[in-house]
Amino acid sequence: MIELNELTDAAQKAFPADKLSPARDASWELTAEMGWMMVRLPEDDGGLGLDREASTAIHFEMGRVLSCAPLIPAQLGLQAVIASQTLAERADWLERLSAGEYAPLHMLPANVDVAADGTVSGTVGGVLEGDMAVAVVAKLPTGYALIPTDAEGVELIERPVWDPSRRLFDLVLTGYAPDPALMLSDAEGAAALHDILGPEAHLALAADCLGGATAALALTVEYLGMRKQFDRPLAMFQALKHRVADMKIRITTAEALLWSRARDPQAARLQIAGLKALATDVYQFVTEEMIQLHGGIGLTEEHQCHLFMKRAMLNLQLCGSLDWLNERVGAEALAALS
Amino acid sequence: MTDTANLEALRSEVRSFLEAEKPTDWRDASRTQEDFVQTQRDWFARLVQAGYAIPHWPKEFPGGGRSLAEQKVIYEELAKADCPRLLLSFVSTYHAFATLHECASEAQKAQYMPRILEGETWCQGFSEPGAGSDLAALKCKAVREVRDGQEVYVVNGQKIWSTMAQFADMCLLLVRTSSEGVKQAGITYLLMDMKTPGVSVSPIHQIQGDEEFAEIFLDNVVIPVEQRVGEEGKGWAVAQATLASERGLTLMELSYRMRGALSRVASLIREHGREQDRGVLRDFGALVNEVDAVCAIADQFLDNRIKGLERIGDASIVKNSYSRALRAYSKLGVRLGGIDEQYVKPITFGDLNTGNWMADFMNSYAWSIAGGSEEVQRNIIAERMLEMPREPKNWVL
Ligand SMILES: Cc1cc2nc3c(=O)[nH]c(=O)nc-3n(C[C@H](O)[C@H](O)[C@H](O)COP(=O)(O)OP(=O)(O)OC[C@H]3O[C@@H](n4cnc5c(N)ncnc54)[C@H](O)[C@@H]3O)c2cc1C
Repeated sequence: MIELNELTDAAQKAFPADKLSPARDASWELTAEMGWMMVRLPEDDGGLGLDREASTAIHFEMGRVLSCAPLIPAQLGLQAVIASQTLAERADWLERLSAGEYAPLHMLPANVDVAADGTVSGTVGGVLEGDMAVAVVAKLPTGYALIPTDAEGVELIERPVWDPSRRLFDLVLTGYAPDPALMLSDAEGAAALHDILGPEAHLALAADCLGGATAALALTVEYLGMRKQFDRPLAMFQALKHRVADMKIRITTAEALLWSRARDPQAARLQIAGLKALATDVYQFVTEEMIQLHGGIGLTEEHQCHLFMKRAMLNLQLCGSLDWLNERVGAEALAALS
Repeated sequence: MTDTANLEALRSEVRSFLEAEKPTDWRDASRTQEDFVQTQRDWFARLVQAGYAIPHWPKEFPGGGRSLAEQKVIYEELAKADCPRLLLSFVSTYHAFATLHECASEAQKAQYMPRILEGETWCQGFSEPGAGSDLAALKCKAVREVRDGQEVYVVNGQKIWSTMAQFADMCLLLVRTSSEGVKQAGITYLLMDMKTPGVSVSPIHQIQGDEEFAEIFLDNVVIPVEQRVGEEGKGWAVAQATLASERGLTLMELSYRMRGALSRVASLIREHGREQDRGVLRDFGALVNEVDAVCAIADQFLDNRIKGLERIGDASIVKNSYSRALRAYSKLGVRLGGIDEQYVKPITFGDLNTGNWMADFMNSYAWSIAGGSEEVQRNIIAERMLEMPREPKNWVL
């Protein structure tokens, strides 16, 4: 598809492969300039109205360069607003978000209670790059809500993570009174919205993983070809070739599933959850191998190996862990096959 | 009609044929080798008649002349309907066909191709005890002589692992006609009638109780020179046509069949009361994901092939992904089945996902060893796809 190639080419030009984790704020601005927040915005709302395949292609490229720009939570936040039936100033918000204001969906569970007076207290986990956020899209017991970060009773607390390409924040609510005009759904509508956002999150993360794994493999092959021991390039040793071949096999196979799910508007929620599980597993495997095959240099901070490994490890936990997702897929398949 | 509409029309045509005609009791009817062979012969004849047995053949043949996209549709439907895989006729309709079609003389084509449709079966006599992965090291010796005024090859040697050779009428035979030069150069390709005096076949007992393949002993077997395909000493190139004949349809078919057979794992989980066992659900979920991914890569491979975008190594990736998933699938069954699976149960011939889990597990090695082992595929991926340097060849003991 022409459109897809164009997107991919543009992404690779803007974010060249030899520059890993380019500075966050500049990357974010570039992302907005490239119009990537418009990609999934419906044409009726002034966007490009492209499908999942297009955003998947972008997330794949951003995974490849370990992008620090929080495009995934931003897209999910935007999609929550798009899908909202209740947000008062929906059009206004869409305009602001597609122009680059940042209102991410949180990517770890929320643990909050609602008091008798309707105020909310507790912690909403996994707000990526929370320092940039004007608001957070949070799943509260009363429904999805846009929570302005400067509202009373709202605090963002950074929790340093190993992955240097991301910053994670907890959104801590203390007697926060949700603004009814900023509700994206009620409690009932939250399930439907969750069913829309879940697959989008899983698809995007799977793309991030497989883009990253592709880059990790390429760097490993390059290193083995260049590094000489025993008077020959390491790449000549079959023991290492076979490990690299297995990396290639697993990445390529998972990528086939990625595109087949991205292209299938009928793909079920758990089919995409299964893809996320598989892709994170493959990414972890590939980055483990990457470090081992680099030897001592792979353990150093100057070298890139650890960046991939740490991102892979964090991706495993975002929006549902490997064990959790596999269990759900297994239970659903069991029920379907009875 | 558009391409898509044509394909969908074909799909529903195949589907209604299968609904009406597919054998449902073939597993029960394949408990002995003889019954299995009969089931295979009947189903092949039925498919030939219906026009679905040889979609990849040229259009002069009834049921031939289908595009790869059409072939894919037919195979998808055959897999989904869970009818018997065409195992007995596999070598004849793919390997023998491709060899004849691409490399044989007009006389050879006219003689053998129609007979395949009448049910004549072929085997492939390539591997030898001393020539497995390193096929070009084969030693089976052919000497050219004149006997009774006729030019012939007199062949002596042994072939091994030849699938269904014990039932075959004909054999695709690789022999050595010269020991000079590089080892590929002295190889010649012959078409051998299995009833020729001096040919003896003995089935090989496999660890799961099947006898899928056999040894072929050749003792002064006389083969007329007219039975040669290509020139003397040029058999290696012909053999490449044989080996490249299958084009990914089988792996797509098998992947779809494995997906269908996930229901066997589900039944097993229920039979053993493990529905609430979270560890089991996790492992089952991971298997479902892996099998889905194998189906996706098998599909992608064929789609790329249809578009002419196939690259070296692509087929190796599909093969290793499939064999890895097949191992995981059957191993999970053995594990869930517990001690039950250690008691011998009757096997079903000719199927990879039978629900006899130990047998299926043992049979899964067919796919990690045959047709270029997993290790050989990894070499191809590393050296030819990722362009890692080859190992030095001049190994001196
Ligand atoms: C079910 C089945 C059906 C078959 N059907 C036929 C048939 O119809 N006709 C026919 O001619 N043959 C057939 N074969 C034979 C098949 O092609 C050979 O078994 C295969 O090529 C491997 O050869 P081998 O068994 O001699 O193993 P070897 O070549 O001796 O290999 C032993 C081990 O060494 C590894 N190895 C070998 N070379 C390398 C290398 N360069 N690098 C790394 N590892 C290596 C292999 O992967 C394997 O693990 C069949 C085999 C099976 C299992």
